[in-house]
Amino acid sequence: MTRTEAALPEVVKIDPTLDLVLERVVDVAPELVWKAWTEPEHLKKWFTPRPWQTVECEIDLRPGGVFRTVMLSPEGQKFPGTGCYLDVVPGRRIVWTSVLLPGWRPAPPTPAPKDANDDCHDLAFTAIITIEPHGKGTKYTAIAIHPTAAGRDVHEKMGFHDGWGTALDQLVEWAKGQ
Amino acid sequence: MPNYATALDPVFQALADPTRRAVLERLSRGPAATMDLARPFGMALPSFTQHLSVLEGAGLVRSRKEGRVRTYELAPRRLAAAERWLAARRARWEKRLDQLDDYLMTMKENEG
Repeated sequence: MTRTEAALPEVVKIDPTLDLVLERVVDVAPELVWKAWTEPEHLKKWFTPRPWQTVECEIDLRPGGVFRTVMLSPEGQKFPGTGCYLDVVPGRRIVWTSVLLPGWRPAPPTPAPKDANDDCHDLAFTAIITIEPHGKGTKYTAIAIHPTAAGRDVHEKMGFHDGWGTALDQLVEWAKGQ
Repeated sequence: MPNYATALDPVFQALADPTRRAVLERLSRGPAATMDLARPFGMALPSFTQHLSVLEGAGLVRSRKEGRVRTYELAPRRLAAAERWLAARRARWEKRLDQLDDYLMTMKENEG
């Protein structure tokens, strides 16, 4: 078992068709990586892919505590996002989710986006960050796990609900009737 | 359904032709090369490959070329959409972590 696997809670089962695992090695101390993930003034500097910006950030670093950001689009529109932390192991691990509000209250369901590739919607996810010393630097891993329904709603409405076979049959029938 | 009419227009157009429907029925039994698909139709190859292009354009089939042989298979649309969705998420996380790594170097300099 590698050290990264050791740092990942056993209950997490990665599905490569749904989830992302990104691993980085950086030439800075683990303490700095931890600070960058857990202190709002630092997180705001890098968290949102440019040209978007993070203009507000609130962190209550404990299980059930708030993790709230407000992103600003290049067009000047604000997109607030509020989730909560699920697990905090000081210096080593942070887990948060977008599907629970602070105090673990379930977030209301959000309507499916018009475009499943819409980049400003993170939709439902849980993120796991693990941090460990690596030589003189740090290895950190960012894991994003997603619900099986992600990006599927739109396509279900299009009639592709029972897998390919049914949809094809339906469409062929439809086309023959034209 | 009306909201998705635009997305489905190419699909319906592709399915409106008997040759193309027959091709899909053939491909539902497994992948096949262009020449094998064309054989039952007694049609000039350029006309036939035009049908294949329509099917591919509608996202109903996909093809890959190995040497001089192009092989077609049914394209599970939903799966393809899911792959695009995950690729977009990955691109976003990669960019986020690139920015983090840059910022970590700035933090290090400021502390040093």
